Amino acid sequence: MIVQLLINNNTTPATQFVSWAPAPCRIRMTNSAGAIPPAVSIRLSSASAPGGGAVGFRTGTTGPFTSTLILMVPTNGASVPFFTAGTVASSNFGDVRIEARAGATVVGSAPCMVRIRKNANTLKPPEKTRFIAAYAQLNNQGLGRFADFREMHRTGLALNQAHGAPGFLPWHRAYLLDLERELQAIDASVALPYWRFDQAAPNIFQLNFMGVSDNLGTVSFANNNPLQFWKTDGQTGVNRRPFFNTALAPPGLRTEAQTLALGTMYSQFRIMEGNPHGSAHSSFGGFISSTNTAPRDPLFFLLHCNVDRLWAKWQRLNSRFNSTVVNSFNNNMASPIGHRLADTMWPWNGVTGGTRPPNAPGGPLAPSPIVPAPGPSPRVQDMLDYHGVISAASNEGFDYDDVPL
Amino acid sequence: MAKKLKTAKRTAKVSSRAAMSVAKNAGNTAKQRVAAIASAPLAVIENDKDLQAMLAVLVNADEPIEVRLAALQALQAASFSVVSFESARGDYVAALRKAATDPNKELRQRVLGILMRDKDGFAQKKLLDGLKDPGKALVPPEKALQLLSYDVHADAYEAAREIVKKPPNVVAKREALRLLAADTKAAPLFEKVLRDKKELRANRQIAASALHSIDPDKFQQYARKIVLDKSDFDDIRATSLVALQQFGDDEALGKDKALLKSVKGFSGGKTQAKYKQTAKQFLSRYKP
Repeated sequence: MIVQLLINNNTTPATQFVSWAPAPCRIRMTNSAGAIPPAVSIRLSSASAPGGGAVGFRTGTTGPFTSTLILMVPTNGASVPFFTAGTVASSNFGDVRIEARAGATVVGSAPCMVRIRKNANTLKPPEKTRFIAAYAQLNNQGLGRFADFREMHRTGLALNQAHGAPGFLPWHRAYLLDLERELQAIDASVALPYWRFDQAAPNIFQLNFMGVSDNLGTVSFANNNPLQFWKTDGQTGVNRRPFFNTALAPPGLRTEAQTLALGTMYSQFRIMEGNPHGSAHSSFGGFISSTNTAPRDPLFFLLHCNVDRLWAKWQRLNSRFNSTVVNSFNNNMASPIGHRLADTMWPWNGVTGGTRPPNAPGGPLAPSPIVPAPGPSPRVQDMLDYHGVISAASNEGFDYDDVPL
Repeated sequence: MAKKLKTAKRTAKVSSRAAMSVAKNAGNTAKQRVAAIASAPLAVIENDKDLQAMLAVLVNADEPIEVRLAALQALQAASFSVVSFESARGDYVAALRKAATDPNKELRQRVLGILMRDKDGFAQKKLLDGLKDPGKALVPPEKALQLLSYDVHADAYEAAREIVKKPPNVVAKREALRLLAADTKAAPLFEKVLRDKKELRANRQIAASALHSIDPDKFQQYARKIVLDKSDFDDIRATSLVALQQFGDDEALGKDKALLKSVKGFSGGKTQAKYKQTAKQFLSRYKP
């Protein structure tokens, strides 16, 4: 007897990934030899490698996830639906498997990964290695797709789409997701890590990761770190001069607790664009400290990943996933275009001219092989319910290690 | 958790107006003023009076330097709110240009960096003038080269070539090489630096990256040679190996028996442990 497990209703390698959000799955019998019709009781469980991820199961769209699930699987090959979701984050692909047993016999198994955005300071060496390899490849000596991400964040009309108004957080959420999906197209096991800038993060500022700055602000990388080939705007290397001891957190930034306590209304929370966001940027000299050059530093996306994580935490704390709830977003009709809930966002919408920038680098937002949201041309409102709390169809396929569903 | 949040809420609610009041008052200690400025960077653009006050602090050499640097940092943080900051930008640039010739070296360096990242012509001219005539230099040559690399042009290349020929110090040479990495005519220079085993390894690493950028095919040939050369340094061989793995032709690499044999040797013996790992990763990808 053999059963097949379809994670995300699929078996292709790029789809065998889950987050904290429920992933639709199916099980079906592909070889019924020895099975007694019309159906066999199959027990699903999660088998983890030491230190690996773990998943839970449930049959319907609601209810708690359990560590095991018993399903009656027809012998005629018809499939049975179920849901799985990550309960412990993975470090490597295949460090968790879904196992199907008939009695004590394993009759099917599917390796997968609970792919979650984690604290960059505590990433394991293989996670770091895969991330920087994919990042360097995306940059590809300044010739890769990363150049589009750099172009999206330039002084002028481009930055007006992203900063200084309520769309700041949704725009950057889409920006990060677009980049992360491009990284995952290179290595599907990569998730964007975050720099938790209100805590000491000495492991980030190392030769084998984001590099070490000298007094001048020139960043050195280890000889086996592919980021040594980083190139932007025709210039090789990275300039980053910390104004703080990188073994500690930068001083003067709002802590996570202070940021989350800014208020329960989006209009109150949004002032985090100044402190901690702007303050984190200006804790350095070099690329990252100026709006016009900030994305040239690979650290930029780790910084913004934490900004997005703070928003995700605030959303969870205050139940602010529903765009129709007034305090989930400051939907001011006087806001510039691109900063109101129903507006599509540049550059993914391809709209140019007028109050939009003259070109739209990068094209539509990268698709995911797993989830359809937020679509190729997301609106501001599409970025709020990122892990499908209000509607399962809104799940964008990413999660943070310390922000549960 | 609830208590922690309550305390945090109280702290966060310190009004930006109060913060600005503390920041502007020269009667307060420098430490108090720095803390007040840092607590609410967006406050500097909430009204024109506060903005002008912070700009005045920035350019006033009689103010404590730590307060001036904090004002600069807050203004720079506020500049990320581009829409709100737009009306202030002209005054900000004018203040930065004024501070670019300030007696304080740290302040000069920081403001010149901000100006150069926006390709400011005034700052560019000052930096080039300083490279040509050290008597006019606002920052050391290595810093000037680093900042000029934000917007390189022929004059900067010429100055950088001179510094490579007659470097005032090792850091200046390194920065000159980094600047020249954007010059397509510099390939022969980087080939020379890369081949020279007596050259500083940090410079050879820059040369590898630069040559790879200017002429990737040529660099791939050099990288292969370096990996095959057992007498070269482990770190330079690792740089070359990473370049091959990241950017090379997978099919050709997988068929290159001499290369694979050399990498196998590099993965054992006296090679440093971290580079052994790099070699093993390479082999696991290309093993037949």
